[in-house]
Amino acid sequence: MALMKVKFDQKKRVKMAQGLWLMNWVSVLAGIIIFSLGLFLKIELRKRSDVMNNSESHFVPNSLIGMGVLSCVFNSLAGKICYDSLDPAKYTKWKPWLKPYLVICVLFNVILFLVALCCFLMRGSLESTLAHGLKNGMKYYRDTDTPGRCFMKKTIDLLQIEFKCCGNNGFRDWFEIQWISNRYLDFSSKEVKDRIKSNVDGRYLVDGVPFSCCNPNSPRPCIQYQLTNNSAHYSYDHQTEELNLWLRGCRAALLSYYGSLMNSMGIVTLLVWLLEVSITIGLRYLHTALDSVPNPEEPECESEGWLLEKSVPETWKAFLESLKKLSKGNQVEAEGADAGQAPEAG
Amino acid sequence: MAPVLPLVLPLQPRIRLAQGLWLLSWLLALAGGLTFLCSGHLLVQLSHLGTFLAPSCRFPALPQVALAAGAVALGTGFGGAGASRASLDAARYPPWRGVLGPLLVAGTAGGGGLLVLALGLALGLPGSLDQGLEEGLGTALAHYKDTEVPGRCHAKRLMDELQLKHHCCGRHGYKDWFGVQWVSSRYLDPNDQDVVDRIQSNVEGLYLTDGVPFSCCNPHSPRPCLQSQLSDPYAHPLFDPRHPNLNLWAQGCHEVLLGHLQDLASTLGSMLAVTFLLQALVLVGLRYLQTALEGLGGAIDGEGETQGYLFPSGLKDMLKTAWLQGGVAHRPAPEEAPPEEASPKEDLPEA
Repeated sequence: MALMKVKFDQKKRVKMAQGLWLMNWVSVLAGIIIFSLGLFLKIELRKRSDVMNNSESHFVPNSLIGMGVLSCVFNSLAGKICYDSLDPAKYTKWKPWLKPYLVICVLFNVILFLVALCCFLMRGSLESTLAHGLKNGMKYYRDTDTPGRCFMKKTIDLLQIEFKCCGNNGFRDWFEIQWISNRYLDFSSKEVKDRIKSNVDGRYLVDGVPFSCCNPNSPRPCIQYQLTNNSAHYSYDHQTEELNLWLRGCRAALLSYYGSLMNSMGIVTLLVWLLEVSITIGLRYLHTALDSVPNPEEPECESEGWLLEKSVPETWKAFLESLKKLSKGNQVEAEGADAGQAPEAG
Repeated sequence: MAPVLPLVLPLQPRIRLAQGLWLLSWLLALAGGLTFLCSGHLLVQLSHLGTFLAPSCRFPALPQVALAAGAVALGTGFGGAGASRASLDAARYPPWRGVLGPLLVAGTAGGGGLLVLALGLALGLPGSLDQGLEEGLGTALAHYKDTEVPGRCHAKRLMDELQLKHHCCGRHGYKDWFGVQWVSSRYLDPNDQDVVDRIQSNVEGLYLTDGVPFSCCNPHSPRPCLQSQLSDPYAHPLFDPRHPNLNLWAQGCHEVLLGHLQDLASTLGSMLAVTFLLQALVLVGLRYLQTALEGLGGAIDGEGETQGYLFPSGLKDMLKTAWLQGGVAHRPAPEEAPPEEASPKEDLPEA
C-alpha cells in the first residue's frame, strides 16, 4: 500500500512541474540569503574577536555559508530537472539519477534542520568565551606600550561606548584591576605609594572607571573617580545613583546582541528548511508520477504519485533486507576468493 | 509658419530614436531614483542634527526640493520608457498618443522647474550652513548644563552623543568649553571656596573651569583621559598642555559637521545635474518622436519620411495663435454673427 497516493493527470503534472521550477528558483535566492547571513555573522564575530580571546567558535557562520552554497547548487539542479520533466525526451536522461538525488536531498534537509537548531544552541559556548575574553581584555587595558596588546584600551573603550556597557558584569569589575598604566603614575606622591602598598600584588587600584563607562543620559557631568565616596562629590549618593554610568555589563550586552542575531538567523534558516522540505516532497511526487505513466507514447493519460511505494514499516524492512544482502554478497565473494586461492595453493 | 528646429525622420532613424530613448529613459529613472534616495538620506541626517542647526538656516529646503525633483524625474523616466517602447509597436501606440502631450508638459514645467530650483539651492545654500552651524552649536554648548530646563533637557545628551559619534570636541576646539559653564549649578557646592571664587571671578557669575566633558575624550590615547585642569602644566605628571597629543579629540564639531553636510550636498548637487541633463535629453527626444508620429497620423509603420520639430511655429506666431484662441474663448455669443459676415465678405472679393 503506497504512502499518500495522489492521482495526477497531464495538466496537474505540468502545473506541478512548473510550480516546482518556480519554487526552486525562489529557493536559490533563499540559499543566497543564507550565505550572506552566514558571511555577516562571520564578519561580526571577527570584528570583536579581540574581546573573545580569539578562540570563538566559527561553526555556526561556517555551516550557514556551506548550507547556502549547497542549497544554491542543489536547487538550481532541481530546477533544471523540473524544467526538463515537461519534455519526455529530455526527462529520460535524468531518470536514473533522480532516486539518488532525492536521497541526497533528504540528507541535505536533515543537515539544514540541525544547522538551524545549532543557531539557537550556540549561546552557551559564546557566553563562556566572552567571559574569559573580556576579563583578559580588561587586564590588558593599561598595556598601551606593550606590542601586541597596545590596541586593547582602544578596543575596550570603543566597545563600551558602542554597546553602552561597563566592565564584565558591571562597573565594579574595574575596581579590582589596575587599569592605569604605571607610566602615568607619580611614584613620588604619597597617595600613590599608599595605594600600592595596600594590596599584596602591589597594584594601583582605584574606585574609578574609564571615561567610556560614562552615560550621556546623566543630568550631571560624569563622575568617574571616587565612586564609592559620597563626600567627594556634592549631592551624590552612590547607592541610589543610576544614570551616572552604564549599569549593564559588556558580557550581557554582547551576548544579547549576538543572541538576537543568531536567533533571527535560526528562524530564517527554519523557514528555508520548510521550503526545502516541500520542494523535496513535490519532487518525489513528480518523480513517481512520471515513472508510473503506463504508456510513454501517450502522455495524456493519468498516473499516480506517492511518497513511498510501500508503507513505512515495510519500506524500512526492505531497506534492512537490501543492507543484509549487500553484506552477504561481500561474504560470498570473500569465501569464493578464498576457495579459489586454496585449490591454487593446494 | 516654419517649424522650430525641424528634423527629417524616416523609418530607420525613428526606430533608432525610439530605442535610444528607451535606454535613456531607464537611465533617467535610475538617476531620479538615486537622487530621491540621496535626498532622503540627507533629510534623515538633518533630522538627527536638527538641534545643531539654527532655525533660521534654510538648508533643509534643499533635500526637500531635491526629493520632489527626484520623484518627478523617476516618473518621467518610467513614462518615457513606456512611450518609446509603445512607439515601436503599432498596436500599443494609440493609447499613448493622448498621454504623451500632458506628459511632456508636466515633465518640462514640473520636473524641469523643480530641477532648476534644486540645482540653484544646491549651489547657493551650503554657504549659509556655516552661519547656521555656528549659531546652533553655540546655543547647544550654552545649554549643555540645562538638564533641568524643559525644552532644553536633551541638549547635554545630544551634545555628548554628537562628540562621541563624530569624534570632535567643542565648536572649533576643546578650549570652547573653557568659556561656557557646562556644569549645572545644581551640582555645585555653594560652601566650597573654590566654587565661590570661580563664580565671583567673572562678570556674568558663571562657573568656568579649564575642564571638558567626558565625551571629548579620545579612546586612542595611551593614557587614561585627562579631563580637568587642562591649562595647568603641573597638574598631571608627564602631561604638557602645549602638546595634548591624543588625549582629546583635536577637531572642532563645526568643521566636522560642515564637511559632512557639504559633502552630502555636493553629491546631491552632482546627481541633480546628471538627472537634469538626462531629463532634458529624454524630453527633447520624446517631443521629436511625438511630432514625427503625429505627422504620420499615428501610423507607426508608415514608410514615409516625416518631420519632427520642437515647436510648430516660431515663438511670435505661437503667442499670436494662443491670443486669438483665448479671444475666441472669451466671446462666445457675438462670434456666431461675425464669422457669417466675414465668410460672405471673403467670398465676394474672391469672386
